[in-house]
Amino acid sequence: MIVQNQLALVKRELWEHRAIYLTPLSIAAVMILAALTGQVSLSAFGSAVEIAMMGAHELDVDPEAHRALLTGAVSGLGGVFLVAMWILTIFYCLDALYAERKDKSILFWRSLPVTDAETVISKLVVAVAVIPLVTFLVIALTQLVTLILTSIWLSFVGGNASLLIWQALDLVDIWGGTLILVFAIPLWLSPFIGWYLLVSAWTRRAPLAVAFLPIFILPMIEKIILDTTLFANLFFERTFAIIELIEVFGDGIEDFVESDIAVDPSSISLVGAIDLGGFVLNPHLWGGIIVCALFIGAAIWVRRYRAEA
Amino acid sequence: MTSLVTARNVSKHFGATRAVDNVSFDIEQGKILGLIGPNGAGKTTLLKALLGLTDCDGELSVLGLDPFRQRRELMQNICFIADVAVLPRWIRVSQLLDFVESVHPNFDRKRAEELLNDTKIKRNSKVRELSKGMVTQLHLSIIAAIDARLLVLDEPTLGLDIIFRKEFYSNLLSDYFDENRTILVTTHQVEEIENILTDVMFIVDGKILLDSPMETIAEQYVELLAAGDNADKARNYKPIHERDVFGKKVMLFEGTDRSMLSPLGELHTPSIADLFVAKVKGAVA
Repeated sequence: MIVQNQLALVKRELWEHRAIYLTPLSIAAVMILAALTGQVSLSAFGSAVEIAMMGAHELDVDPEAHRALLTGAVSGLGGVFLVAMWILTIFYCLDALYAERKDKSILFWRSLPVTDAETVISKLVVAVAVIPLVTFLVIALTQLVTLILTSIWLSFVGGNASLLIWQALDLVDIWGGTLILVFAIPLWLSPFIGWYLLVSAWTRRAPLAVAFLPIFILPMIEKIILDTTLFANLFFERTFAIIELIEVFGDGIEDFVESDIAVDPSSISLVGAIDLGGFVLNPHLWGGIIVCALFIGAAIWVRRYRAEA
Repeated sequence: MTSLVTARNVSKHFGATRAVDNVSFDIEQGKILGLIGPNGAGKTTLLKALLGLTDCDGELSVLGLDPFRQRRELMQNICFIADVAVLPRWIRVSQLLDFVESVHPNFDRKRAEELLNDTKIKRNSKVRELSKGMVTQLHLSIIAAIDARLLVLDEPTLGLDIIFRKEFYSNLLSDYFDENRTILVTTHQVEEIENILTDVMFIVDGKILLDSPMETIAEQYVELLAAGDNADKARNYKPIHERDVFGKKVMLFEGTDRSMLSPLGELHTPSIADLFVAKVKGAVA
């Protein structure tokens, strides 16, 4: 019954917030279109240029460097999606418990045998699991379609797609790494997700302003009064740490491309470039999850106890 | 008779204001109870307490459950329509049916579909595309397909035109009501529902001013239309309220023998609205 309710509630979120899949799909459409346009434009030049642009003239390019570059390029396609995913998550959370109060549909939802805890948790599930999963599926789809288009184009201009793309690339590794990243980002930023959901449940107006003002004002006040930077560190370092997390694998790829040392081809791996163990064992991750849980508890309390229309 | 709702000394404060002030009452199965009161009288607060939407002091039991603490179990056997605008505007009719079907164990989808087939509501329409009247029809079709023991209606026909309002109450009786079900309804348009009520309760300033079956009202209260001397004589029987109509006096009596009043003019059973005004003014005076 609890599982059935969760499934129904999550499905309802997807009906209401179509941006969850429309946003990544729009980005995918733009990217695929850009890939097509790029290939057609390149075809205006000679085929030598075309194949060189693939970073891999069969004759004289180091296969490991080619492999690393290709892995970096294909993984990098996901970058825009990850940034968009986080922005989408912020807007989703701020709307999730606010819109139902604004249009008073909360009275209808609460007339059904579903508890407040179940409802709030379904919104959390969407933020930390459904949005990432949808984002991952669209990233994988975009990578696949782009690669297929590139293969077709390569065959037209006389390149060997099988050799240049499909044998050089480990898609399972890229997808594995991407999957880790899409779930790691919301987990790492979960205290923000909890905070946004609480603001959404509690504020009477302007959830965006109410959510962001303290994030900027608290560090300022702290700096002026105490001349310390505890809040600034808490808010901004945590946010930027996620960029470092992504950079870790970015650097790894760069190493493969730039280093003159011979690299073992099997070590060119997106999964291998992510320090999953370090991430899971990081006490800051768990501290953040606890803060998120406290905010979620507060959001449930507010939805349940506030006596308002 | 089984008591569906039992309230003993129920109060709800908002700061210094007592929205519901120490009320006690019972609602029995199979009744249609009208809860009548001016704006801000505490009607909505009382309904919210019954529905477990707000905490309250005192003893309150609905279907044998503590409404605030056992809200999920309660909502399997209670339905409510808060007012016409509460269905989410973005949802499609078919999605709404899917959702209620998956979370409500007592929802009969087939029955809801049958009821909707009698309306012009299309399954793929969004709620925002429907007129106010259609939204209410949709809501009632869903509610009527839920096998619930208690239905709570808070101003269900607010903002609807007269045709939809009439239709709403006749559908309510034909599609929903039977002896196993109980309805609690609040509205400002008392005259439209007084002929379907079995019981009536007046609430003013958080207190219950009257709690009575409709039959008792006809026995207990009488309205006299009198003029001149007769009006003066009638005043000796201490009417609880008096008003002017076309130069004649309309006086409302409580517990006064009809045979004493009948020589003085025309007698009627007062309408709920007139009785309410008399009771409220009497309480204030």
